[in-house]
Amino acid sequence: MAQKKDVWQGTLALMVLKTLDTLGPLHGYGIARRIEQTSGDLLAVNYGTLYPALLKLEQEGYIRSEWGLSDNNRKAKYYKLTRAGKKQLEREARNWEQTTSILARFLAPGEEPS
Amino acid sequence: MRNLRAWFLRLVGLFRKERDEQELAEEMRSHLRMHIDDNVRAGMSVEQARRDAQIKLGGIEATKELYRERRGLPLLETFLQDVRFAFRMLRRNPGFTAVAVLTLALGIGANTAIFSVVNAVLLRPLPYKNSARMITIHTKTAMFPQFELASSWPAFQAISGRAGALESAAAFWATERTLTGEGEPEVLSVAGVSSNFFQQLGTTAENGRLLSEGDQKLSLDDVAVISERLWRTRFASDNAIFGRKLILNQQIYTIVGVAARNFRYPDGTDIWVPLSLAPETEQNHTFFRLQVIGTLREGETLERVQAQLGIIAQEFPKIEPRLGKDFKLVAQPLLENTVGDARQNYLVLLGATAFVLLIACANLTSLLLARGWGRHREMALRAALGASAARLRRQCLVECCLLALLGGSFGIGVAALGIHLFRAMAPAGTPRLTEITTDWTLLWFALGSSLVAGLVFGLVPARHASRIAPIQILKEGGAGSVGSFFKVGNALVVLEVALAFVLLAGSTLMVQTLAHLLRQDPGFRVDHVLTFDLPQPALPVAKNEHALVDLQIEKLKEISEGVRRLPGVAEVSAADHGVLDGMRYVHSGLELEDVPSDRALLEQDVLERYVSPNYFRILGIPLVRGREFNERDARNAPKVIIVNESMAHKFWGTLDVLGKHISITMNGKGDGWNEIVGVAANVRDADIQSEAEPEFFQPLSQSGVQSYHLFVRTERDPDALAAAISRQIWAKYPDQPMTHVATLQRTISESVGDQRLHTVLLGTFAALGLSLALLGVYGVISYSVTRRTQEIGVRVALGAGPADVLRMVMRQGLALIATGAGIGLAAALAMTRLISGELYGVKPNDPATLFVAVLLILLVGGMACWTPARRAMRVDPMVALRYE
Repeated sequence: MAQKKDVWQGTLALMVLKTLDTLGPLHGYGIARRIEQTSGDLLAVNYGTLYPALLKLEQEGYIRSEWGLSDNNRKAKYYKLTRAGKKQLEREARNWEQTTSILARFLAPGEEPS
Repeated sequence: MRNLRAWFLRLVGLFRKERDEQELAEEMRSHLRMHIDDNVRAGMSVEQARRDAQIKLGGIEATKELYRERRGLPLLETFLQDVRFAFRMLRRNPGFTAVAVLTLALGIGANTAIFSVVNAVLLRPLPYKNSARMITIHTKTAMFPQFELASSWPAFQAISGRAGALESAAAFWATERTLTGEGEPEVLSVAGVSSNFFQQLGTTAENGRLLSEGDQKLSLDDVAVISERLWRTRFASDNAIFGRKLILNQQIYTIVGVAARNFRYPDGTDIWVPLSLAPETEQNHTFFRLQVIGTLREGETLERVQAQLGIIAQEFPKIEPRLGKDFKLVAQPLLENTVGDARQNYLVLLGATAFVLLIACANLTSLLLARGWGRHREMALRAALGASAARLRRQCLVECCLLALLGGSFGIGVAALGIHLFRAMAPAGTPRLTEITTDWTLLWFALGSSLVAGLVFGLVPARHASRIAPIQILKEGGAGSVGSFFKVGNALVVLEVALAFVLLAGSTLMVQTLAHLLRQDPGFRVDHVLTFDLPQPALPVAKNEHALVDLQIEKLKEISEGVRRLPGVAEVSAADHGVLDGMRYVHSGLELEDVPSDRALLEQDVLERYVSPNYFRILGIPLVRGREFNERDARNAPKVIIVNESMAHKFWGTLDVLGKHISITMNGKGDGWNEIVGVAANVRDADIQSEAEPEFFQPLSQSGVQSYHLFVRTERDPDALAAAISRQIWAKYPDQPMTHVATLQRTISESVGDQRLHTVLLGTFAALGLSLALLGVYGVISYSVTRRTQEIGVRVALGAGPADVLRMVMRQGLALIATGAGIGLAAALAMTRLISGELYGVKPNDPATLFVAVLLILLVGGMACWTPARRAMRVDPMVALRYE
């Protein structure tokens, strides 16, 4: 249970960083919608879990936040990638690719490792 | 680094909660607003849009709680919150809190008090240098197999020279001497010590100097070191005391120093003098005089030194044949030697208090569980509002630990009081009694055991609190399912009753022991008798010992006559030592007329006592044959002796032994024939706990005895006469000390002091454990009745009569108690053996005692069930069915 949660939180953090990298500064709701769109149902019912993840990233200095106005003039808290965040994103993305490629090879049916 | 930064921000987060909280609320609001806007744009109604947004967020409060946990340091923060909340809960239920705190205070207090005693007596090292490595070496012979005897100077020299496992060894003798000269004469414990004695024990002088090598010379012009106590009480801590003279038994010593405060080794010694090796004191060279202590070399073992002692011991019987073949030198750790038999008793008491604390914990568990079920709705609500299972568990544990700490702090008071009472009640000979004090250990132990207790009794309720399924509870409207409570509750009741039963069985055995002892008839009259010692007030070493003794006898007669003339005094008698004062004076190696000299028989020790003519009359001991001693049995008259029935039976197999002769061997020489002139009835004058042993009596006037024990039979309260008697004696003999003043009744009562103390303590713990267990039974049964009100209502509606309901509840309660008693009985059978050494007149698995204990616990347990059962009986079916 705990392990699954850790994986989930790590994945979520990576998705947040990537979203901010692609779309630029964005509010929590926007990030949630974006992740929902790209990941399908992963975040479907629980946008709430995003906020602790945002806070954690902010505490670690990977993102910064400030209040601003949304497209339709709603007050919202915008999150922005920092330079450290950018580096972290690269590092994490590399790790992730490595992990997935290893696992993919590992899980691929019937193929002998070359 | 990142982690550190995050922690720092979280720590900061603790202090800016207000602002963060507002910001969080604002962010949630903005999130929802944007989501609603989007939903409305997608064509939902406003109401629908809001609902969808809230569901997708996963609950505002739950999200906020998740967020909060990440924001600050949730552990610390929620801990403080939990503590505050727990305080509120405890304040809101003052009745529950009071019962819980009182229960714990008693449990923890009793435990802490006994632990303090155990710590001071058994665990804490003796207050000497390297005391963990210190040993005593005593000798054992076939002649007195049950005694630990002292050694001799040659043995000491052999040990310190040749036992390689020893770093060093010191020797001393200890005795009582009379201090005269200034103020009232006083009998003090005096030790003659080898020159390295103080060094061996690692003690320093409070003032002046201690003894050194140069003091151990062949002269009688000796120096002395006095205790800090004596310096303070008799010399008013006078710094100009050095060089002053001390007169001990008319021998003059020069004071050279004061020993360190509280240093009183051995056994409350007040004066230390050099171990004299002068020819006059050749006694030091014979066995059974010098005690030897030693320190093991680092890394050496008791076994090693014991092996070396075994080799050394082999040569002594060759030099001194009377030591016999079985002569042994035995090493024993000093602490073990000091504590002796007390160890087992203290451990039993510690076990008993642990039982009490366990019962208290079980009790609290069931109380908390019952209450926990009452708080189910609250817990369910908290869970629904986003409190995690861990959080609920933690909060429950915090509440329990807080309760325990409250109980523990009152427990410290209880413990301090208990230690005070223990010291007041402990018999005088209790080892290390003065070292039993209230100190920091007590505080730490009380706090530590409170926390452990809190965790122990909080564990089960905490697990239950965290297993709550909110939907179910909230739907059921609070009743919940109570099945699992009863499983746990019943187990707890059984446990409590079992523990209480063991305590009850143990204390019942002790009470019976004490009753037996107090009922024990010593066989002589003990009422209206005042007794005291008249130690020899110091006479110079005389050439003619007999002349000296005659002088002393004359003086004794004069003193006795003076005391007898005092108003209120009926009769005065004397002996060489008192009765039932814990001492045994024995002799072995008798030569008996008409008895085959079977050595095994003759080497057994026989009690001996020297008495004045009216001794038998004053104590009301009948003579079954022959006559008492009289004034004509003087030094120059034919030597006479009286034996008791037991001795006559044992050696001659008959009471008709008048006219037979006994020769008493002293230092290898017989003292000539003594004619038996009387046979006295058996009395228990040495040990009230055992049958009368063989004993013989000789007239004081024909002995070499120079110090006496007086028996004064009075016409009224003997204590009231003590002052008049001492005035009478000191008027004529200002140097004559008078010690150990006591009534015979008090002496006997003190001879069972140990058992009395342990009975009182064990009895107190049993009463405590039993009442707590019954409180637990009452709580569980009472709660079950409340919970089953509806069910009982249905039963009554279906035709069950009040008697059926009563029977049902009583059966439930008694079944639990009987199960507990059964388990307790099995445990008691195994555990009462531990106190078998203390029991007298009753066996550890005495069926009658155990039966009484079972009956008692069923009876009292039944009473605890009775009130809730009566309540169940009066349940009105109409009310009960509307209960929901």
